[in-house]
Amino acid sequence: MKEVLAQHIDLFLIVVYLLAIFLFGVLFREYVTSTEDYFLAGRALPWWVIGMSIIGTNIGAYDYVGAAGGAYRFGIAQANYEWLGAIPAMIVSALIIIPYYWKNKVYTVPEYLGKRYKEGVRVIEAVIYGLFLVMLLGIFFWASGIMLHTYLGWSIGFSIVVTAIVVGFYTISGGLAAVAITDVVQLGIMFVGGFAVAGVGFAKAGGVAKFFQTLKAAHPQHLKVFLPLNNPAYPWLGMILGLGLVLSPAWWCANQSIIQRALGARSEWDARAGMMFAAFPKTLIPLLVVLPGFFALMFAPSGAINNPDQALPWVVKNLLPPGIRGLVFVAFIAALHSSVDSTLNSAATLWTKDIYQKYIKRDGSDRHYLIMGRILTFAFIIFGVAFAPFTEKFPGIYVAMQTLLSFFQGPTLATLLLGVLWWRSTGWGGFWGLSLGVIIAVVLSAAGVNFLYVAWWSFVASLLINVVVSYLTPPEPPEKLRGLVYGFLEKDQEFKRAVEERLNG
Amino acid sequence: MAEFLRSIPLFWAKVISIFLYLLLALWVITRPREFIYRGAPDGKGWRDLRWWAITLIGIQIFLYLIF
Repeated sequence: MKEVLAQHIDLFLIVVYLLAIFLFGVLFREYVTSTEDYFLAGRALPWWVIGMSIIGTNIGAYDYVGAAGGAYRFGIAQANYEWLGAIPAMIVSALIIIPYYWKNKVYTVPEYLGKRYKEGVRVIEAVIYGLFLVMLLGIFFWASGIMLHTYLGWSIGFSIVVTAIVVGFYTISGGLAAVAITDVVQLGIMFVGGFAVAGVGFAKAGGVAKFFQTLKAAHPQHLKVFLPLNNPAYPWLGMILGLGLVLSPAWWCANQSIIQRALGARSEWDARAGMMFAAFPKTLIPLLVVLPGFFALMFAPSGAINNPDQALPWVVKNLLPPGIRGLVFVAFIAALHSSVDSTLNSAATLWTKDIYQKYIKRDGSDRHYLIMGRILTFAFIIFGVAFAPFTEKFPGIYVAMQTLLSFFQGPTLATLLLGVLWWRSTGWGGFWGLSLGVIIAVVLSAAGVNFLYVAWWSFVASLLINVVVSYLTPPEPPEKLRGLVYGFLEKDQEFKRAVEERLNG
Repeated sequence: MAEFLRSIPLFWAKVISIFLYLLLALWVITRPREFIYRGAPDGKGWRDLRWWAITLIGIQIFLYLIF
């Protein structure tokens, strides 16, 4: 009887959450009347919404499961993904990169690269990121189906359809504003769920100090943030070079899903402050994703966990009381939804602005592009739902997606950094640096190089190719670089005036 | 080269990461005030993003020192 009641409480929490999120779509529908409203929330987002939405977008249910598994296996080194692999890049993004996106009033990262270099760079970047985001949707839908099936017993197909309807409705209705506000709510739920897990775990261990004493005595390596070079997953040099200096800056400076929130800011300061504010909850994310791995390590009996990714499910199933369990499950669903909605909205923005508006129909009205944005969002939902079952056919597909990400993160970062920081970088330099950088990354990966080093060396190669080709080609005319390059904007009074004129219309 | 890298004690990974954080902090505090406040509705002290960044970097250095 008690178990049945507990299950009803959990189910009640999940249904309340789904209904509340659905209602957001209804509330925000009336505020969307233009593409700027739909894709950039009418450029009205305050810094705190941007910050929380960025983290809501960044943390998915897979991060919970994968990071807890990583912590179970390797320890606190997993937290590098939230600390060294995020915070410095977020600060740099806030203070260097975002002002250039925001000032140029672009909708997408490829749009900025197209303005700075040439259209070919925009097309390559848009197609790569566009395809990546759309494929990611299928994985997210499948993960959602698995979670609802495991916990509620719904069929996977039905679970995927429910997720698609709920997330699709508020994303199509309210655009970025609805996505960002729901992200704020979802992040709140994630933290409440995470703190509940931490509270239960620490209580069971006899307190925080006792917990860390016991962990240190039993698994001293698990409290070391850097691991030796022969570690297969997290070698310290790879963490600093590949993660800290390439993958992380590429993610926080050039990922459309992340950057789009800042582009919807009500002012340049809000755009920068939003990214900076996001770094505070990001610092705390290990509490949510690393601690459960430690709890599994400490409390799970020997042989209970065969695969590290079972660490978090084991904690939820065996440590948490009913009610809290439902809350944590809602937190997983919220994490997943906040990633799905952002991916949907960003994919629609990329395909509408960088492909459809640029190459298919150039002279449409704003209303036409708004309708197209909604149609594409709907189409991506259908594609994601249809693609989701194929995820099962390829068990390593999520890992494959991470590897795919390392193919273009390094070259993208090199192209972006040189574009923003070096006036001499030319259109052809950007084009060949990006294209050949991607090819080099693919070759390195095929040769079996660790993805952290693939990211680093493809970044270095792309940087060098860009510099060499730029010196072999004529410099870009100054009027093309106005407002797009760091040195020009900061130093040249004429360019400063030109930027002001551009901003004033 | 690989042999040389393998011979570096793990302690130096911490030193390198903390050095990078300090370098970033130095760069942040040298940003001009007018740049930091650009677009801000007022010049209140709490809007100074340099302090936000320094706080974040301070927390990071603390974490990397203890783990």
